[in-house]
Amino acid sequence: MIRRSTQPKCKTRKSFVRRGLIFIVLIFSFVTLSGIAIADPGSTLKTDSVRAEPYPDAKILFSIAKGEQIDILARNGGWLRIKHTRGSGWIRMLSVKRGQPPKTNSAAQASGVLKLASGRAGTGQVVSTTGIRGLSEEELKSAKYNAEELKKAQSYAVSAADAQLFASKGKLVARRVAYLPNPGN
Amino acid sequence: MPNSDRGCGAGCLRRRHKKFLKNRLEAKRHKNEPATDPTATVADAPLVGEISVADEIKIGSEIAGNLLGAAPLIKDIALQNYVNRVGRWVATQSERPDLPWTFAVIESGDINAFAAPGGFVFVTRGLYKLLGDESELAGVLAHEISHVVKKHHLKIFQKSTLIDKGSKLLSKEIDHGKKSQALLGSGAEITSRGLDKDVEFEADRLGIVLAARAGYEPWGLANVLQAISNVGSDNSVALLFKTHPHPDERLSALDVATENSLGELQGGKVLTARFYRLKN
Repeated sequence: MIRRSTQPKCKTRKSFVRRGLIFIVLIFSFVTLSGIAIADPGSTLKTDSVRAEPYPDAKILFSIAKGEQIDILARNGGWLRIKHTRGSGWIRMLSVKRGQPPKTNSAAQASGVLKLASGRAGTGQVVSTTGIRGLSEEELKSAKYNAEELKKAQSYAVSAADAQLFASKGKLVARRVAYLPNPGN
Repeated sequence: MPNSDRGCGAGCLRRRHKKFLKNRLEAKRHKNEPATDPTATVADAPLVGEISVADEIKIGSEIAGNLLGAAPLIKDIALQNYVNRVGRWVATQSERPDLPWTFAVIESGDINAFAAPGGFVFVTRGLYKLLGDESELAGVLAHEISHVVKKHHLKIFQKSTLIDKGSKLLSKEIDHGKKSQALLGSGAEITSRGLDKDVEFEADRLGIVLAARAGYEPWGLANVLQAISNVGSDNSVALLFKTHPHPDERLSALDVATENSLGELQGGKVLTARFYRLKN
């Protein structure tokens, strides 16, 4: 409140309009580019280039080392717009890990995962906060065949023609893309 | 298809004839394999030695019925129809477009998705709620579709020599439950049984390409994997983490695999506005 009263008043109506416009454009670009409306924390998984635009051949602004903390501002395809102390730009999505960096060392976190992987973390009777039961291995093993549900599920299946119509409505156009080779081979 | 001949001009007829010739040629090539399912196309021709498409669908139905016994469908017809449309469109881009593809969202808070032979794909409510747009749903479904296309589960059966026993069992008139119990040992658990790590990486690689082919922005699956990684080591991901490589490992495998194809994997639709959101 104090700050506002000490601030000089806007000289013209034009600047008000301009500020409003910038604000609208900013909101619009966040909403359209991704589901991320505010900056999300993240960190780099490897050394990579930060580029001016979300393209592999775009101008490199600066290089960023592995393990640096960043803010994720937006996503566009396989690229994230990030903010770093050295500036902002676009980086490959797969070079970034989302979320707060682990407070403890990574070994502790890994052991948590291992515990889960070995099935020692819980009783297997998973109850989520929504009150819906989880699916444990035991439950899957002891499940009884439900003919009625299967019949119902099959009744919701659609034809290829129906799917094609649905795709057209969303302006989805089929394109040719080659399968990715196995880099391990 | 009623009235399919109406309005078919010369060019259309020529194309049909060409297709007919091609089909005949391919049929010849595959004449040593038993014709089982009249709806099966050449692409459906058995990759796994002895098992026919018809038997594959039977096995898949057994497993799908068992899985639905553990977690029923979410009672929302609009949701189930929506998921089927997205899934069928993505599956149409694969080598097995003519399977009786069935997609469903099931009532479970766990974050997981399942595939069964013959074209059955299930997503849990927990996973569906993590999704933010249609390209992400397409990516998840595409990963599961890839398991079916590549017959990953069937190959496991074959390895464990269950198939031989299975095809005899399938023809017998016994209870569904008993049949799949005898056939698969543990019923629905097979859908979540840990596949080979490489097989999961393969399904990820195929999945992003299938989504791209369908006109979606190809990075939906990667975005979901990042979101799952962000969930952390919660109980809701226990089974997923047990049976799959960690999402971070899958993401770095995708990173390596896509390094030289970034140009091809650009563009496409996200379709946030059309995405069907769960009310609760």
